[in-house]
Amino acid sequence: MKIYEMSVRKPISTILILVGVLVFGGYSLTRLSVDLYPDIEIPYLTVITAYPGASAADIEQNVSRVLENNLNSVSNMKRLVSSSRENTSIVALEFEWGTNLDEASNEIRDVIGRIESQFPDGVQTPMILKFSSSMMPVMYLYATAEESYGGIYKLLDERVVNSLNRIDGVGAVNISGAPEREIQVNVDPKRLEAFRITIEQIGQVIAQENLAIPAGAMDIGSERLAIRTQAEFNYVSEINDLVVVNFGGREIRVRDVAHVSDTIRTMTVRETLNGQRSVMMIIQKQSGANTVDIANAINAMLPELRATLPPDVELGVLFDTSTFITNSINSLTETVMYAFLFVILVILFFLGRWRATIIICLTIPVSLITAFIYLMFSGGTLNIISLSSLSIALVLVVDDAIVILENITKHLERKARPKDAAIYGTNEVWLAVIATTLTLLAVFLPLTMVGGMAGILFQPLGWIIAIVTTVSTVAAVTLTPMLAAYMMKYKNAHTYKGLGIVFKPIDAFLDKLDHGYARLLNWVVNHKLITLLSTGGIFVVSILLFSMVPQDFMPAQDQGQVEVSIDLPVNYNLEQTVAFAERLEARFMELIPEIKYLAVSSGASDQGGFAALFGNTGVNGVSYTMILKDRKDRNRTQQQLEDVVRAEVDLYPEVTTYTVGASMGGMMGSGTVDIKIFGFDFDETTAIAKEIQAKMREVPGAREVNISREDMRTEMRVEFDREKLARFGINTATAATFVRNRINGLTASVFREDGEEYNIVVRYDEEFRGSVDDILNIRLMNNQGATIMLREVATIVEDFIPPVIQREDRQRVVTVSVALGDGVPLGTIANAAREVIRETVTPAGVTVVLSGSVEDQENAFRDMGLLLVLVLLLVYIVMATQFESFSQPLIIMISVLFAFTGVFLALWITNTPLSLIALIGAIMLVGIVVKNGIIIVDFTNLQRERGLPINEAVITAGKSRLRPVLMTSLTTIFGMMPLAIGAGEGSEMWQPMGIAIIGGMTFSTLLTLLVVPTVYATFNIGRAKKERKDNMIEIE
Amino acid sequence: MKAVFISYGQSLDRTIMELFDKLEIRGFSRWAETIGRGSISGEPHYGTHAWPTKNSTILSVMEDEKATILLEKLRALNAQAEELGMSAFVWNVENKL
Repeated sequence: MKIYEMSVRKPISTILILVGVLVFGGYSLTRLSVDLYPDIEIPYLTVITAYPGASAADIEQNVSRVLENNLNSVSNMKRLVSSSRENTSIVALEFEWGTNLDEASNEIRDVIGRIESQFPDGVQTPMILKFSSSMMPVMYLYATAEESYGGIYKLLDERVVNSLNRIDGVGAVNISGAPEREIQVNVDPKRLEAFRITIEQIGQVIAQENLAIPAGAMDIGSERLAIRTQAEFNYVSEINDLVVVNFGGREIRVRDVAHVSDTIRTMTVRETLNGQRSVMMIIQKQSGANTVDIANAINAMLPELRATLPPDVELGVLFDTSTFITNSINSLTETVMYAFLFVILVILFFLGRWRATIIICLTIPVSLITAFIYLMFSGGTLNIISLSSLSIALVLVVDDAIVILENITKHLERKARPKDAAIYGTNEVWLAVIATTLTLLAVFLPLTMVGGMAGILFQPLGWIIAIVTTVSTVAAVTLTPMLAAYMMKYKNAHTYKGLGIVFKPIDAFLDKLDHGYARLLNWVVNHKLITLLSTGGIFVVSILLFSMVPQDFMPAQDQGQVEVSIDLPVNYNLEQTVAFAERLEARFMELIPEIKYLAVSSGASDQGGFAALFGNTGVNGVSYTMILKDRKDRNRTQQQLEDVVRAEVDLYPEVTTYTVGASMGGMMGSGTVDIKIFGFDFDETTAIAKEIQAKMREVPGAREVNISREDMRTEMRVEFDREKLARFGINTATAATFVRNRINGLTASVFREDGEEYNIVVRYDEEFRGSVDDILNIRLMNNQGATIMLREVATIVEDFIPPVIQREDRQRVVTVSVALGDGVPLGTIANAAREVIRETVTPAGVTVVLSGSVEDQENAFRDMGLLLVLVLLLVYIVMATQFESFSQPLIIMISVLFAFTGVFLALWITNTPLSLIALIGAIMLVGIVVKNGIIIVDFTNLQRERGLPINEAVITAGKSRLRPVLMTSLTTIFGMMPLAIGAGEGSEMWQPMGIAIIGGMTFSTLLTLLVVPTVYATFNIGRAKKERKDNMIEIE
Repeated sequence: MKAVFISYGQSLDRTIMELFDKLEIRGFSRWAETIGRGSISGEPHYGTHAWPTKNSTILSVMEDEKATILLEKLRALNAQAEELGMSAFVWNVENKL
């Protein structure tokens, strides 16, 4: 018994298996978590090596180069980049996507172990750092306060951070911008001088007077008691009364030479939110934890946390990355639902039968739900890729059921009993149905083998569509005949009674369409030359269109967030930076009413942390984070607003460099065009970089043309005269410590209160550390107590800090990076950059190459080209075996050509660049459009076998297959409509694919219906093969 | 005794079997899949790509009166579902086991 016969004869088993699949799929769905992208391991490893005291050039020569030469052999490595700056070498290794980074870091560890002995003394052990998605902040919380501002750090640390850390999956919570309490002992150097005291002495006294030492234990009677000396400060004011020295019989106390204040630390960073002083809490997740789950847990906890805080403290969510994720997923879910609805309407329109429509549409949920089962077993998530795959699969799953049900209906019309009609109707077409599914698999299975970054996007897509379409075929040969056997009845033509009245105009329209098409086809087939010539014309136009559509890598996404970071001149202090920041902030608020929150961070945090390793941190930096209103409440996109910001920032001459872009856009963002200048000589390469920068600034659409090699920064350097120091009796280290303690301060001890510790810092009062003279007037003291002014033993020179030396693939490099303006495709800027590179005259030993996203794009496009060839070949093989013919598949493939023309036409009309996403849509079209061709050619063959003459066969077949072809095409076109219109958040990503598929499908269907029959008739492909005459028995 | 040979579109299978049961015709031989074409009109049943339908064929030997009733019933059936195709032939049986 065949599978379809079994399912018709055993409806209960069939239904229960179906229910089982639905239940299991539903269960899988509840277990899936929601995320934006599939779990991606960012393929970077970084080796950080400290070599204190070495200059950038020394670091380059002795550390970075040694590391580079040896790390070059690490497997799967794509690129090796290093930057050598004073004291530190950073070597970054970029791997192929999908590389196992644990193995790679083991390999790196082996290499480092082997070469460590080659490093000069003083080089510290290199540290391997792995980037991971967990470093991306999940959420930013803000807190603003009035009365409690001074103590807000402690409040937040105790009441908020601790609670947040208890949430499952929360990695780290950092507080930024909060003032920290500090006990300052501000010294007057003139008084010190008068009493011959040093800062170090005061520090020593404070440290020695603030002690608690256990003194052992004693047996007293029958008890053993611990003894402890306790001399810790209870009040800050106690410091004032400490005796530092006896001077001339007088006790000199701290208050005589300094004033002690219990205050907050001098801040080098100022954070505001919508103009109000605020504190930011940055929450990171643990590796592998789910963003949406964490964000939900935090949001649920917030009211509880607010209740524990004083009433003037306001705690809120500044930015929640999960909002974008959930909104994207919700809008995609909506897209899938609309696609479902449209598909149902199209089927109902053509079939005009409720029962048939229900039977066909039931295969949709059954097939789609298996995708959830696959996702659960493969450890996937509901992300924009898996959901978009579902929305694409949705339009493909109904085709098989339509073909099968159509044939069953034919038997019913001949008055067979429903069960027999179901069994024999399926029997006649099931092999053809499987063959068309094979053509789809020929397209989507190769997708699962795509490598690189594109693979991360398209592997799940390939798997999901392959699995779902396979299941849909199984459903079409089991579920569909079973349901047809029990639900379908023989029915006369429409009676147009009651609700059925709506079918009257539809039927009339469809009949007219049939006749019209038959007449048109008749004309076309009889005017072969004109038809074939116009086909050739269309082919030429499509090549023209191809060159007119600009190229892009990834569509830019609107994430509702604009990040701006600005560098001001190096000599700006915090006040100047803040003043500038406020001025610009006011302008932003005025220019961009779309801003919901504007967080400003001026200066840099002292601790620096992770960011300090890579960025330039100084008090001269400002960063703005604009959180925009919801997409539906604003007219301008993120990219348009970024251009507004750029135009404004360009007006300020004091801005040295700036970047504008969303923080999350790293991987999926529109990217940059990088021009890399390789060469050893700094001056030469810098000059070329400047020249290219100037030229690129002229290019329309190019924004933020920055050079990676910074201008030299100024510093004041104290240079000691060792001779003089030696004569005076102190060494350089002691002298340098003296200078540091007076300016930066000496942390003498800690003040304990309520279990918290606060630093006690001794240094010159602020008024005595404001000029070069103040430094020169610092008094050094030797062991004999003799003092000497710094100016006697040292000079201060103003100098430049040598730039960071960047290298790539073992060569020095400087990069000119160009960002893209709103709606400017990557390809346009890349072409301009190529032109600039061609014009640039380079001396020997200097090479200039184009890199950045362009490189990724070219690689991805090349991969796609290869994939396209593979897909075409596989599809051809599947069709050739199905028809057992070399030539017929070629006729069908004409529809692929039209599909590409349609893609370029649609992209050109909608002004959408050809991105990787659009390209993948074009590749998918190969599988989708050949179906139409297969239906037509197959039926024409059938008519020929039945003995019809060629022209008649072609027209009969065309006329009878018009509706099925239109039905499958229109389900695809309308099903893709929601994706192409792209209303929701995150829809920009798949919009080009929707547009490409609709354009290709429409154009290809219209032309396939006319051209394929004509070509068939012209070459008379289906003619009966002449039997070989050998050994043939003649029949008289 | 008459031998009745019926060749009909496969999807009439169950209907014919029900008819046999109803008329209490016990003995028969059936070829589940046969191919053929009608003498006058109708589509061929070749089970090929061009003509995908197939026939079933029954050969049954029965009393004369039953054969007459059967033929009548078959005629009525054929009139209802002419497109499925049916032919029936009756001849005399000379001897049997």
